[in-house]
Amino acid sequence: MTTLARKLILAALGILAGAAVWPAAELVLFFQPRFASYLPFLAVLGAVTGLLLGAVFGTAEGITSRIKSRIPAGLALGALIGLAGGAVGLLAGQAALWLFGEAALRSYRSFRTVVLPVSRAVGWAVLGLFVGVGEGVRAASLKKAAVGALGGLIGGLAGGFALEYAALLFPKLAYPRLLGFLILGLAIGVFYGLVERGLSYGVLRLLAGPLKGKEFLLNQRRMNIGQARSNQIALPGYRMADRQAQIRIRRGEVSLANLEPGVAVLVNERKIQESRLKYGDVLAIGPARLFFKYE
Amino acid sequence: MSKKSIAAFLLLAAVTAGAINLSLAQIDASRLLLAQEVDLYVGVTAEDGRPLSGLPAEAFRVYESADGQDYREVRELSAFKPAAGASEGITFLLVIDNSGSMYDSVRGGKTGDPALMRVNHAKEAVRSFLTSMTGPADRVGLASYNTFYRGLVAPGQDRERVTGALEGITRPEPEEAYTELYASLTLAVREFAGARGRKAVIILSDGENFPYAQHSGKPHPEFKNKIFAHTEPIRACLEEGITVYAVNFGPTRDRRLRDIAVETGGQVFDASNRGELAGVYRRIHEQVAAEYRLTYRAGMQPAERKFVRVRAAQGGGAAEATRFYFSTTVFGLPLGSLSWLLLVPFLLAGLGVWGTTRLRLESRPGPARLEVLHTRVGSASTRALPLAGAKTVIGGSPKADITIVGAPGVQGEHATVLFDPKTRGYTIVGGGDITVNNRPVKSRRLEAGDVIDVGGATIVFDDGKTE
Repeated sequence: MTTLARKLILAALGILAGAAVWPAAELVLFFQPRFASYLPFLAVLGAVTGLLLGAVFGTAEGITSRIKSRIPAGLALGALIGLAGGAVGLLAGQAALWLFGEAALRSYRSFRTVVLPVSRAVGWAVLGLFVGVGEGVRAASLKKAAVGALGGLIGGLAGGFALEYAALLFPKLAYPRLLGFLILGLAIGVFYGLVERGLSYGVLRLLAGPLKGKEFLLNQRRMNIGQARSNQIALPGYRMADRQAQIRIRRGEVSLANLEPGVAVLVNERKIQESRLKYGDVLAIGPARLFFKYE
Repeated sequence: MSKKSIAAFLLLAAVTAGAINLSLAQIDASRLLLAQEVDLYVGVTAEDGRPLSGLPAEAFRVYESADGQDYREVRELSAFKPAAGASEGITFLLVIDNSGSMYDSVRGGKTGDPALMRVNHAKEAVRSFLTSMTGPADRVGLASYNTFYRGLVAPGQDRERVTGALEGITRPEPEEAYTELYASLTLAVREFAGARGRKAVIILSDGENFPYAQHSGKPHPEFKNKIFAHTEPIRACLEEGITVYAVNFGPTRDRRLRDIAVETGGQVFDASNRGELAGVYRRIHEQVAAEYRLTYRAGMQPAERKFVRVRAAQGGGAAEATRFYFSTTVFGLPLGSLSWLLLVPFLLAGLGVWGTTRLRLESRPGPARLEVLHTRVGSASTRALPLAGAKTVIGGSPKADITIVGAPGVQGEHATVLFDPKTRGYTIVGGGDITVNNRPVKSRRLEAGDVIDVGGATIVFDDGKTE
């Protein structure tokens, strides 16, 4: 899968996540008066939202890595992290909304057109941030957490604005919040994909074998390459060790190291133990051929 | 909602039904999220303006409404504290008008006698106010204004500094003698940065807003051509929870100063002589200090803002005031009713995710082909070319199978890929300089995934197999 296809899948999953969140959120919202206070109400609302967003986005890794066994685990873990992130995120977003809104409210001339949409979008952005961080927590990667946070923040802000202004611009729309949630999910997916690409150190494109055409973003400090499905660059079906080689990123420099002597690792047809990579290099790890490129 | 009606909501709707007055000076909803509680600061005064202290909790009724129409009575206050302003301290900022007219006499005429000048009455009133400040937690600051706003002493507990700074207020030059009343009140707000609890501006004014840019015909040195509207200090003060008390003296009055005071929860006083002024200051202090703090548990009715009404009854008199606080949630208001239709997007989403996981993403076996990954210079006529014949030409010629356009280093037939039917293998032969896997070659048998560079075009050889 190319990086473009990955972005498209993330965007599609975002829309699906938005569609899944909407009814669940409406259900919780409907029962607001039944809650004793805002704290449990918002925690439940955030948890439900985060759970669904996290579950849907959690499947992305399994889908795009073409390792289907990762899908159920990703879904479950994504849901769990989303649940916690959503609850904390919505409470933080609500605090931001009230803090900002209470101050901005006083400019009452623009209550509906500015204060409400802007302050709510701020709340959405904080929620998106927490949901986005989930992917980094799942992968135990600070870099991925940063990608998720930024992608979620921008996506949340964009989606939040869209949600608010959809209701303002189309007052006759029956379910403006549905449109908003769809845009929110889409925005989180799109921005996650864009930020992920923007913050990566390049792409390894697989040129031969069953997974040929697949591209791996180099976005973690250490990425293992091997047959095992647990590797960041998992190459099941290619004859090599479970953990054959490693991509290392140090001070912006990308290098490749061979971890197991049984299989040769070559860069531009020269056998290496560890070698710095530059864009355009051709890597051979056993039968796998990879092209290192910037875009 | 129209601008007017929102303004009307914001306005302190103090209705006097008897011999007492009630003002809902401030709503503090900062503990709403964590504790579900809202604090109301309520001032109750007698008809003559004296604060009524000693009222019991039972004298107050608190109502909350999600729409401003139907009010639900709060059954029980979770906390009640009389004289809440005094014990927690109040931050005051005294703002003295130092425009040219302040050097006229109180009655309106020109005078050379400093004792008769308004500015000296004002200074005397400030001194009197400072002596009346008995609360140890109170803080006070000083500012003056004319064409320019000048913060003289930041709010603090050192009253001596304020007394000292009064001496620094001297007659302005003609260019400085304008009255930037609204601008100065707006700027005064920043003096309260970081201050907690009740905050009050006491402004001494003897005349109308008289902006420099409007009346001198020149841009203001700081504000340029901007003319401040009276709504700007209102907005700034409400944002920071600051109440404005205005003291009018002299024959001219600013017609908007009353709006500023009333809309921020304060009052306007008229003081025509020194003794009266001192009394007014004491009264303000007593009023703020005597405010009651009513804490109640907020309801959960969904609303963008909640209206709070406080009613107090004392003797035969009763009064009430209404104000609102911000209560919207990130997701907004719920739907009027739930429908089974809600399940449709949920099910569709589930189906969509399931479908996405079923996408067949593995590559399928196919014919051997060349794929152009990218070109450093120029462009390629095709992105992917199945290797159908015995000979495939890559080069700059339009007759080539893959034509590299706009790359000057590329020959007409720069490289040729030959098919050997016996071995069913492919060999590349360079007419010009080529590399395979970044190694210069003249001729070479191709393997799956080999990367060929032809004059800056990166081409991958795909043998079509997926094993």
